[in-house]
Order: sequence, then C-alpha cells, then structure tokens
Amino acid sequence: MIEEPYRWVEAIANRAEYIETQLATGSPIVVLGYRDGILFLTLGKTRQKLFEIYDRIAMGAIGHPGDIERLRMTAIELASTEGFTRSAADVSLRRLAHYSLSPVLKTAFEQVYGAPYLARLLFAEIGAKQENDLFLRLDYDGAIATNSATFAQTRQDFGVLSGTRPSTELMENYLAAEHSAGATFERALKLALDAWTVGHLALGDAGVKELPARDKIVTERKERLRAAGIEAAVLDRDDKTAIRYRALTEPEIRSALGD
Amino acid sequence: MTPTASLPTDIPLTQATTILAFKFQGGVLVAGDRRATAGNTVVYDRADKVLEIDRHSIMAIAGVPATAWEMARVLEHSFQFFRRTQLQEMSVDGKVRALSKLLRDNFGFVLQGAGIVVPIFATYDSGSDPAARLYFYDAMGAQFEVTDYAATGSGSPAVRGILYYENNWGKKPLVKLTEDEAVTVALRALDTAAESDTATGGVDRDAKIFPVIKVVSRDGIATLPEKRIAAVFKRSVA
Repeated sequence: MIEEPYRWVEAIANRAEYIETQLATGSPIVVLGYRDGILFLTLGKTRQKLFEIYDRIAMGAIGHPGDIERLRMTAIELASTEGFTRSAADVSLRRLAHYSLSPVLKTAFEQVYGAPYLARLLFAEIGAKQENDLFLRLDYDGAIATNSATFAQTRQDFGVLSGTRPSTELMENYLAAEHSAGATFERALKLALDAWTVGHLALGDAGVKELPARDKIVTERKERLRAAGIEAAVLDRDDKTAIRYRALTEPEIRSALGD
Repeated sequence: MTPTASLPTDIPLTQATTILAFKFQGGVLVAGDRRATAGNTVVYDRADKVLEIDRHSIMAIAGVPATAWEMARVLEHSFQFFRRTQLQEMSVDGKVRALSKLLRDNFGFVLQGAGIVVPIFATYDSGSDPAARLYFYDAMGAQFEVTDYAATGSGSPAVRGILYYENNWGKKPLVKLTEDEAVTVALRALDTAAESDTATGGVDRDAKIFPVIKVVSRDGIATLPEKRIAAVFKRSVA
C-alpha cells in the first residue's frame, strides 16, 4: 500500500504525529553560552539527561531512554574513533551531526516499516572563543537547527530543546531578549532556570501562548525548585585541561543560585 | 645461520630513562628526567616521560618511547571511553589491569628485542578507601603496588638506593616530607642517577632543562612549574 506515494506521505505524517505526542511532555533543556563557558541545565531528574560526548562536546536529550542511549553511544563512538585515530582537534560537532547522526535519524524516520528514534537532541561544542561556540539541535527526522546567523535570525549564544514547538519558540524568544553572551556563571544559571520555567509553562494544551509576566515566572520557578531536582553541567572555556565537561552537583547549583 | 642471527638486534632503539615516584604529605610525586637515548647517542633532551592519563592518573615511562606513548594513548582513550559510555569512573583495579594487559600484549616485541617498556602508574583512589596509590610493572605486565616508593629505568639502582636511605635514615620518612622537601629529594636522586648513567639526563645546568615533576592528589594532577623546580634546585641541590 505504501508503494503509492501519497500513502507514504500519509504514513510519514502519522508517524510524525505519533513521535510528537511521545515527546510532548519532555522537560525542556536550556544551554547558555556565558563568559567562561557553556552551561547546560534542566529540571525534574528522574533519569540523567545531560551527557559528555567528547572533550569539547556535550549533549542533552529528551525522548525514549533506549533511543537516546543508542544515539549517545553512536556519537561517543564516532567522536572517540576520530579522536584516537587522528586527534581531539579533528573531532567536530558540525561533522558529527551533519555527516553521521542526521542521516541515521532521517533514514530511521522515513523507513516506515522500521521503528523511528523517539528522541530529540541538543548538542553544544565549546570553541576557543565565544564566537566559535556551536549550539546544534537535532530532531527525530534528522532536521538540524543551529545558533548561526540565517535570514530569519541573528547569531545566538544559546540553544534550547523542548517537548513541543510552541514551548521551544517561547524559550527562544525569551532568551533572545534576555540573554547576553558576557553573563557571569551565576547570572547564566538564574537565566537558564527562568528560561526553563518559561518552556515548562508553555507545555501541554493548557500551556501559555505568550511570554508570562515576570512574577508568574518567579512563582512557578520557586515551586518547581522545591519539588524537582536540578541537573546541570558546564563546558569550560579554560583550555588548561583537554576535557572541558564537568557535571555540577546539586548542592553546588543550589548554593550558586542562593537557594 | 641461526634463526636469531637474522633478527636486527643491532638497530639502536630510542630509550628513555630514569623515572621515580614516592608518596609524600601531599600525595604521590612522580618525576622523570628528560633524556632519550639510542645506544650511545642522545636523541632528545626534552622528552616527557611523565604522562597524564586522566584527571587522577599518571603513567611514567622508562623504555622505548614509541611503544610507551602509544600505550599511554590507548589507556587515556579507554579510560575516557569507559567514563563517557558507562557514566562512571573506571575502578583503580580496572585501570591497573588495563596497563598490565597492554604490557602483556607487547611482550612478543620485547622478546624480539624491540619495544620494552617498564612503567610506573600513580593514581588517586576515591573509592571506599580513599588514598593515593602507586604501582610499578615488569615488562611482562605483572603489577606491584608499593607502599613508599618506586623507580625504574637504567638509572634506577642509584635512585632506589637514595630513596631507601632517605626513607629509613633521612630526617623523616618520605611520606612525611613537605612538597619542597619532596622536590629536593627527587632532584637529588635524578642528579645522582645521571652522574653515573649516561642514559639519564638529570638536570642540564647549561641549557636549564629540569626534570618533569607532577603530583597526584585528591584534587587531581598538579604539574610543578619549571620556575618552582628551578628555585628548589638553586636552593638545595646546585
């Protein structure tokens, strides 16, 4: 039946709808470039969502744990093989995503007799300078969105990931207005938490459509912080050591927040 | 012609010597001279034989650098790969075994007369019994955990003598030394080794080339700046 082209299109549309439903409740992930590095943050830690991929690359993901795991392993194996056979300097997020991960996701998504990946990934790679930082979002169909300047956007020093498109867009609007690249770690941490709250408020059918008022964000943030665990990690710009990834402990995050 | 006569045993291989390590107040100090030799020729005077494998582990090498550096590279990548994929640090036992396996796999080359490596491995164990740990190996891959000190390489007999003497009859045992005192002992030991062993560089007073000295502790690895080593050298060795 799917030999007929329009049946194929229908099948693809159905599976996109199915995947979107599966991903819709995913807790947002915020990645911010700040003065001394890149910060990853998310809340609601039932399982780990932030991962180290290679010396200068980290990843956040929402979706099915099994699918996230397969993609994470693929990314680590590709990066490690390249880093071992050539050098760490030859490992690049751009190549990893464009030449390896995106085609894999697209193929799985379009082979309608096989299972697609139920996952959405957000990567960041720390550069020598802030203008070289790369933020890259990879969707279940292999689509790539980055922080670089396009016709539609100026270059951004952040990346976001969420369960739904409205939530993602609202977070992007919020950060485009509020975030500055020169922010300190404490400032970036607070802003990331606010952006997460905005994204969280926008989830679901009853979610907000417009940017919520300041006091609503603050109230919601306080409530979520009381209930949920925080997960955060940084990629350090300091090049004294090769490995830049560091997971932050919960007490460390809470004390930096003054919570 | 006997089979062994066809082996090219007369090719002078680049070798590196001498390395030492001992426990002191601040963790484990690991030091290595900078000379690489091939037969009677000095090949290189700025070789780095004290290699960082991960945030808490150092492999110091005596032997053939080509093999040793490759081993260090394999170790570094396998520890990192384990941590990244398994989302936990490899145990100290696992790390110690990994190096043992590399040495064992290399033993065929050693028997053919090429590629002998005799390393020291120092790491900080943050497991159930947190402590700095120190191991040395033989060329076949047997590992020996030591309580106080280890030295390998062609200059090691002299170094072992000094460390034994210091530990038993010095002003205080090695483990009680402050960092400055530990650096003094390490510099004096390497300089003594270089006095009689041509394959050991010791301290090059003219070119101002100092040994590489690193310290492993709970906080990770600290590489002592050359200025600091030079100052200790000037004060208590030269």
